[in-house]
Amino acid sequence: MILSEDKKMSEHNHHEHHVSSAGQLWAIGIALTLLTILTVGLSYVEIPAPFDVVVALTVAFGKAFLVCAFFMNLYWDTKFNSMLLIGAFAFFILMVAVTLLDTLYRNDVVPSF
Amino acid sequence: MSNHSQAHPAHLQHHFVDSDQQFDAAKMGMWVFIVNEILFFGGLFCAYIVFRAWYPDLFTQAATELNTVWGAVNTLVLIGSSLTVAMAIRSAQKNQIKGLQINLLITIALACVFLLIKYFEYSHKLHIGIWPGAELYTYEGIDHPLAHVFFSIYYVMTGIHAIHIIVGIGLMIWIYIRAKKNEFGSEYYTPVEMVGLYWHLVDVIWIFLFPLLYLIE
Amino acid sequence: MATAEVSNKKTLKVQRFKPSDNPSNTYLTDEKGVWAWMTTVDHKKIGIMYLVSVAIFFAVGGALALLLRTELLTPAKTFIEADTYNQLFTLHGAIMVFFVLVPSIPAALGNFIMPMQLGAKDVAFPKLNLASFYIYVAGAIFTFIALAQHGLDTGWTFYTPYSTESSSSVIWVTMGVFILGFSSILTGTNFITTIHKMRAPGITWGKLPLNVWALYATSIIQVLATPVLAITVLLLTMERWLGFGIFDPALGGDPVLFQHFFWFYSHPAVYIMIVPGFGIISEVISTFSKKTVFGYWAIALSSLAIAFIGFLVWGHHMFTSGQSAVATTVFSFLTFLVGIPTGIKIFNWIATLYKGSIKMDTPMIYVFIFLFLFSIGGFTGIMLGALSVDIHLHDTYYVVAHFHYVMMGGTLIALLAGLHFWWPKMTGKLYNEKLAKIASVFIFVGFNVTFLPQFVMGAQGMPRRYYNYVDQFTAFHQTSTIGSYLLGVGFLIILYYLMHSLFKGAKSPANPWGSRGLEWQATSPPDFHNFDHTPVVIHGPYDYHQPMEEFQLGLAVDTNGHDSGTAKEVVDKERDQWKNYSLG
Repeated sequence: MILSEDKKMSEHNHHEHHVSSAGQLWAIGIALTLLTILTVGLSYVEIPAPFDVVVALTVAFGKAFLVCAFFMNLYWDTKFNSMLLIGAFAFFILMVAVTLLDTLYRNDVVPSF
Repeated sequence: MSNHSQAHPAHLQHHFVDSDQQFDAAKMGMWVFIVNEILFFGGLFCAYIVFRAWYPDLFTQAATELNTVWGAVNTLVLIGSSLTVAMAIRSAQKNQIKGLQINLLITIALACVFLLIKYFEYSHKLHIGIWPGAELYTYEGIDHPLAHVFFSIYYVMTGIHAIHIIVGIGLMIWIYIRAKKNEFGSEYYTPVEMVGLYWHLVDVIWIFLFPLLYLIE
Repeated sequence: MATAEVSNKKTLKVQRFKPSDNPSNTYLTDEKGVWAWMTTVDHKKIGIMYLVSVAIFFAVGGALALLLRTELLTPAKTFIEADTYNQLFTLHGAIMVFFVLVPSIPAALGNFIMPMQLGAKDVAFPKLNLASFYIYVAGAIFTFIALAQHGLDTGWTFYTPYSTESSSSVIWVTMGVFILGFSSILTGTNFITTIHKMRAPGITWGKLPLNVWALYATSIIQVLATPVLAITVLLLTMERWLGFGIFDPALGGDPVLFQHFFWFYSHPAVYIMIVPGFGIISEVISTFSKKTVFGYWAIALSSLAIAFIGFLVWGHHMFTSGQSAVATTVFSFLTFLVGIPTGIKIFNWIATLYKGSIKMDTPMIYVFIFLFLFSIGGFTGIMLGALSVDIHLHDTYYVVAHFHYVMMGGTLIALLAGLHFWWPKMTGKLYNEKLAKIASVFIFVGFNVTFLPQFVMGAQGMPRRYYNYVDQFTAFHQTSTIGSYLLGVGFLIILYYLMHSLFKGAKSPANPWGSRGLEWQATSPPDFHNFDHTPVVIHGPYDYHQPMEEFQLGLAVDTNGHDSGTAKEVVDKERDQWKNYSLG
């Protein structure tokens, strides 16, 4: 009785790993290529100062999302691994933001906010 | 991936209960390692952001020395290699050992192409006097007193990325040799997937390096 | 034989496995010989190797400290040159921080105990574990090469621009620290994965020992902060080697940016050092009060809160470095927040003691020393976090006294508590309780005599790292030096009775303290695979109101754990679902 229960448990527990279809992978590859061409093209368009970086980074984030979600299989993976990625990025932002709090206001004697 | 038919699959290490636990642990360990890598490069990106906020002119002027076309070609090369790595994992999952080997070889070749292009870029810059660090920097084509700072950042970011590529090639060769020995299949392909994750990470970092360094006009 | 019924009809046969007091073979009798030790992937042996290395480095760092204190006996030169003095305090700091405090509790005690507390056979990546030990050794070799060459006189903080100009061997040491960082990173990665994936059946997140929670928080900091240190010392090396111009103001760089990078690691790093100490205190305090820990979740989650807030306060090291007024204000405010989770811990420990049946064995004595010293260290930290006060106290002996109270009075005393607590488990031997208590008096008195005067002279304006001082501080410095000798004597006594215990000590039973912790349900010293069964946990680790035999359960049908239900199926089951088991 115990053994049969064990078998049931392991079947229940046993999980299939996601296998992407070749078409799926090619589609992602082509999308990444198109986005690369897009971002190079946009770099020749005159976009006013802060927005050129915003546009370039938006495209970069789109590409990074495609790679992480579908090449690195985060889309089908446990949510915890996505959390690790997002957490790492959040701490990077934290580091930059707090450092900028110093470097951007270095010359203000009195806090300006 | 059911291993319960046989009690001890050869690849199962003694301290794990079953293959699923071993695979999940390996994958989670890899993601924690990726967290490390993000923060490692994060320090460089932070330096980049601080200096770009201080000296926007420096970055627009100095970036003209970087060749957008070759940068874009290299981006496409890396994206291609990411695709072939994904295909390699798929081959392993479907027990197509021949496909696994071919895809790994293509990936290694693309990684070498990336390094070759990088080599030509570097040697061109060194040739005209753009060296890393103020002591060796002699180029006078950029009218900014801190031109060497931009190229220090450029060299250290792309240089560390290139080291990651070289490590990746080494790992891929190791996987290829093991694949030749028939060690992988649909039952066990953990190392293939882990090296794949590493390689995609290297790709993602380049996806950010490319616009931040090459596409400032 | 007993049977546990789970509500969804899953049945697991459990059985009592009483640990033998006279184990026939242990991890010490399996795989003997130097080569077996050096190539072992067993977490227990690796933990012991770390412990020995940390002890050696502590002896070296401690000897340097005694030399420094001896030099400071008189206001002018006593017996060493000023340049040598600069090198000695730099090495004392670098060795104590990077080679002792950072690896001490997680890598030495954590490696040994943590997998046992999870009921696992090993950490998730045993080979990586061994690799991180050798990376640690390699980092040490680099540092000693620097020693043999021109030494290091920058202080352990490597501040630019001095570190780019100093004629000492900065690059060797930064490379050593760079390598050492990887050891820390790999340990952290390994521990996080182990805690997530390797728990024995029944250990839910709510039944994790608090030591494991503390190590979890520590590992998160290690993984997030250490890579930034790696890139920082790499950039510093490049700055010195090629003149990168990122940190050197003469080349257009910004030295304050270096401090940001450095403290983004090094402030969280002080939590890498102290948080595992909190874990030990929780374990010991519960065991020797024979009482459930008060506020389990408060203690567990405050570790994570400290880890998180610890990332937001690094700028309080830079109040006088010329960072912007906005940043200093924000950093000062955030610094006060760290006091909240730390206070939560202290209050919960005190509440655990309340109405417990307290037994004053050596580990518990160190816990009381910890509570006393760490509270002083914490409170003075709050004072230093106050912006205006810090302007006066910055870089004085007040800061020196503060961080010694936290690092030595906190981390090292917790390490001593843990060492005395787990010594019988690690070696299978008992130590001389009377000598241990005498030593603890030396440590406590010596510590306070050394560092209390430093608060006073710091507040009166004695700057840190100075070779000479004005005459008015002579009495304080001499008291401090005498105290340091008492400390030295205390550590020598500890060394003596631990060595005596190792070779001639009485045999320890499996569970000399009557602890409910899972690591104590193995033999002392443990089996090569920790447990010869797969442990099953049905109670929390501090449930002293439950009988001991309910903590000694394991899967009855056991073929090395491969056939029975896998760990994952049972770990998510809550206590209620295990009610129906019975012992027979």
